[in-house]
Amino acid sequence: MPAAFQDYYTTLGVSKTATEAEIKKAFRKLARKYHPDVAKDKKTAEEKFKEINEANEVLSDPVKRKKYDELGANWQDGGGYQPPPGGRSGAGHRADGTPGQEFHFEGTGFSDFFEQFFGGAGRRNYGYPSGEQEFAADPGAGRARRGGDIEGDLLVTLDEAMHGTMRPISMQTVDPRTGKTDTHSFTVRIPAGATDGRRIRVPGKGADGTGGGAAGDLYLRVRLAAHPDFRPRGADLYYDLDLAPWEAVLGEHVIVPGLGGAIKVRIPSGTQNGQQLRVRAQGLPIGKTGERGDLYVVSNLQMPTEITDAERELWEKLKAASSFTPRGEAKP
Amino acid sequence: MNPNEPNDSAEGSFYAIEAVAEITHVSRRLIVVYCESGLIAPVAKPEESHWLFDDGAIQRLRHIEHLRTEFGMNMAGVRMMLETLGELEQLREELRFLRGR
Repeated sequence: MPAAFQDYYTTLGVSKTATEAEIKKAFRKLARKYHPDVAKDKKTAEEKFKEINEANEVLSDPVKRKKYDELGANWQDGGGYQPPPGGRSGAGHRADGTPGQEFHFEGTGFSDFFEQFFGGAGRRNYGYPSGEQEFAADPGAGRARRGGDIEGDLLVTLDEAMHGTMRPISMQTVDPRTGKTDTHSFTVRIPAGATDGRRIRVPGKGADGTGGGAAGDLYLRVRLAAHPDFRPRGADLYYDLDLAPWEAVLGEHVIVPGLGGAIKVRIPSGTQNGQQLRVRAQGLPIGKTGERGDLYVVSNLQMPTEITDAERELWEKLKAASSFTPRGEAKP
Repeated sequence: MNPNEPNDSAEGSFYAIEAVAEITHVSRRLIVVYCESGLIAPVAKPEESHWLFDDGAIQRLRHIEHLRTEFGMNMAGVRMMLETLGELEQLREELRFLRGR
């Protein structure tokens, strides 16, 4: 069952030669429109947002983008991807290269295509010797063996990480020998305070055991969705605040968006570019402790590029009157 | 539809060594060996009379078993690999964070 090719460039509405900055800009613009935490029409926005996020995940990473571009060049219509000889790719393959059970997920927030080629650890039998299942078929080794564990990625928005949620997942398994498909539906609880990279264990939803052995477990790896405003780091959130030079020099009161609503922040006079202002306990929850991480407002100075004659005059005046010496030397 | 099975491995959950052995299918004896060699560590809880492990330890244990059984690594190899992969993961995270700017 080959995964359908995803055209990430079209999803973000950028050309194949787009620069990193262009991709970032396109993502921000679309994410602002469709982010479930931000959008007005949540239902339709959600699907769209997942697509945008997936495209951004791949195209914003030069290594993944390169791989994606190569994949696109080798993609056969209808036939899926033709792997280069000797290469091991795809999910559900055992150590010796024979196809094992195949898994397809619905509800994780990522397409099959992404799972197959860009999913974190992949859906290989992880944490358990996958090759050993083959040996179980040897004479004398007819005893029950537990199935392997599998891993998948799970897209989680900051809002979901903030409050926790229940996510319905449907998982389709394909037996390569009989071609028989099975669908399992279950609900996964995403706990409040779920951080990026965290695994959520779903017992008994891994690969089938052999000889009457129990099934392995399914581990879903949390991937925090990129947010148009915040960058998470552990339980802390970072917000880049664009400032005019005079706002940084003179100080200002600004309203910044917070996850739980707008927050008023005082920008002290003499704020430097890149300076971080900490707003306590406005980040993500820290596990079940009831505590929250902090929100860091990062000053991002913006310089005017076009100025009027009147403005020019004022800057000239400032230049003449200022005692400021950024390079530490006396003014010429 | 199958009965819903919400998992209960919320962060802040701790597992006794028996539970860890059941989840990871690593014997208690081997878990003790890994602890003694410093590859994994129980959560420091002086008020508890027995060892408790968190989700991180379970992930690490799965990782160790994978390296050991799939790639036939010895303890020293596993140790080096875990350190390297841990560092790699950290750098990846940092890169992702910085790229977000």
